[in-house]
Amino acid sequence: MADYTRRLPVYLLLDTSGSMNGEPIEAVRQGVKALLMELKSDPQALETAYLSVITFDSVARQVCPLTEIMSFKEPDLQANGITSLGAALRLLTECINDEVHKAGPDQKGDWKPLVFILTDGAPTDDWEDAAEELRNSKPANIIACAAGAQADTSVLKKITNNVLMMNSLSAGDLAQFFAWVSGSIKMSSGSVDAMPGQPIELPAPPQGFVIVP
Amino acid sequence: MEKIRRALLSNGKEIEYVVTDNPPRGGMKYTYFTPDKSYVIQFFNDPENAENPAIRDRINAIIGKYNPTLAEEYGGAKGNDKQTAAYFERCFCWPVATVVRPEFGIVCPSYPANFFFGENASQILKLKGKDKKSNWFTGKSRKYLNSPELGDFRSMLQMSILLARSLRRMHQAGLAHSDLSCNNVLVDPRSGTCVIIDIDSLVVPGLYPPEVIGTRGYVAPEILQTLGMDRKDRKFPSVQTDLHSMAVLFYEYIFLRHPIIGPKIYSQDAEEDDYLCLGKCATFIEDPDDTSNRPSDLEVTIQDLGPYLEELFLRAFSKGLHNPTERPTAMEWERGLIKTWNLLRRCTNPNCEKKYFVLYNPEKPVCPFCKERIKDDTVMKLNFYTQRKGFTGRWFKTSELIADDKMPICNWNLYSNIFPDEKAADREVKAYIKHTDDKYYLVNIALDNLLSPDGMTIPKGYAFEIKDGISFRLIRDENSLLLHAELFINK
Repeated sequence: MADYTRRLPVYLLLDTSGSMNGEPIEAVRQGVKALLMELKSDPQALETAYLSVITFDSVARQVCPLTEIMSFKEPDLQANGITSLGAALRLLTECINDEVHKAGPDQKGDWKPLVFILTDGAPTDDWEDAAEELRNSKPANIIACAAGAQADTSVLKKITNNVLMMNSLSAGDLAQFFAWVSGSIKMSSGSVDAMPGQPIELPAPPQGFVIVP
Repeated sequence: MEKIRRALLSNGKEIEYVVTDNPPRGGMKYTYFTPDKSYVIQFFNDPENAENPAIRDRINAIIGKYNPTLAEEYGGAKGNDKQTAAYFERCFCWPVATVVRPEFGIVCPSYPANFFFGENASQILKLKGKDKKSNWFTGKSRKYLNSPELGDFRSMLQMSILLARSLRRMHQAGLAHSDLSCNNVLVDPRSGTCVIIDIDSLVVPGLYPPEVIGTRGYVAPEILQTLGMDRKDRKFPSVQTDLHSMAVLFYEYIFLRHPIIGPKIYSQDAEEDDYLCLGKCATFIEDPDDTSNRPSDLEVTIQDLGPYLEELFLRAFSKGLHNPTERPTAMEWERGLIKTWNLLRRCTNPNCEKKYFVLYNPEKPVCPFCKERIKDDTVMKLNFYTQRKGFTGRWFKTSELIADDKMPICNWNLYSNIFPDEKAADREVKAYIKHTDDKYYLVNIALDNLLSPDGMTIPKGYAFEIKDGISFRLIRDENSLLLHAELFINK
């Protein structure tokens, strides 16, 4: 029988600016690896989740196109340059337009994409228009995480209501963040507790993480 | 960082558990293991739930007077003897105690080892130690598993019988599971067994119901449909909604597909579409009257399962989808599944993936899965009759069996008052069928009172031929079944 499973597109927007160099970028690499392993151990996530990675430093790049979990190749992440968050947001909108299936008369559309933004600094490019565009058109459920003391939560709040803050860029905190991302993906691929149009349900954030009001 | 802590339990005992950094977390609780992994200790995500007296009362009732895995003499369910308690202990991961200190929590036995993947489960994925959720076996991910893990049609049917029986026991006590799903019924298709877990959010008669709604794909349509309504108009998990979730699981085990998620588009918005597809507008993909959700490429259908299961699935998903009182009960499923089990026939195609099929029409012995007509020249159907109480000599048909070589015969195939359920004390093989050179024999292994068609006692180790048309009482006992054999020539 044909496959009627609806895809859940997941975009990771990862800050790879120079300030992430060293331990933090290594922790992000490990985090992506752990995330993949977690998703591969959950049949529901394995069947529904599709993953893409967009990095942003001096430029924004889609280093992994939207791919099913089993075929996903881990990106080679390097940290240098400045923080082009605005470019990353514009690229996200483009990718969603290109890659996410819309429903048609004979085709089931994808779930609303889930987007996780991880950044440790303030944007260095124009980001306001792109943020406003995302806020208004709501093409995805976006969760932004401000990592460490330098991250600007007020910027992230302009993109989405779901903003988390973690205190440090330590390997432990980043590992917890990626564990929480996998929990959120699993929850979104299996839960039913909300009616259409309701905000998505996410697991409780890990200890030491604060939800920015 | 792992640390060993001690918990004080409601029964006065102390138990050690290992605190880990990222404990497995469900919607309500998170889980630690004892050092030897034989028990799990669960605490609530939300401290308010741990303090909630409604939740505490419910869990205490579940552990005590509603517990089918504990004999009545030890504080378990009323009328439960040690034998039935032991039987159901294998079917459920039933909580055994609550934690008093450091905070309120629940202690359950770990799942038996066969419900965790072993070393050789998959060539591609690292699954060792992961629990066997049923969608590993029924969904797309099936292709990543090694074939011995997957079981066959017979083992999937066996799992279904066990699930029906376990749920029948729960429902008899008035309990509803409230969240039966691929995640909460772990399965082992290799051995044809399953175990129901997450027993703490049961609906207990007279107590405040749990907050769960259910899992996508398994929630009954009426629950989803009334989600946004006032509390008084909403439908909550109940025995009737369990009957929907259970039927979805059976359908998935048997066909490896979902009964309701089909090609029909209900809305251009994904969330809205899903909500209508599984709720208000839910349509069975095999609905005989409404084919709008029917996939164009359905090969094996409920008609291929024989009359009993076809009727049950139609009642569950056609008549009963939006009319909960029409849904078959767990007991009806248990009976229908066993009757269907008796019609199983080995497929003679050595490459048939399903290995067995339901041979409900002896004149057309064709496997619906691989389309092979069986290679044997004959099909032997054994019809069993029970004597109507108080009417000597008046018999009515109670079951049918498709005879196959090496088929075991147990007490429930011989006595009208014994069923293959938790009450059958003696589960040993008493005799077996031998099929050779187009002749069928019944070989006595352990029966003192087995009779031949002409009324002679057949000693142990001896056999008699089952010939076309014979009708006789099988054993010298007032509860004996009467056997009538029918031979069909397969040409």
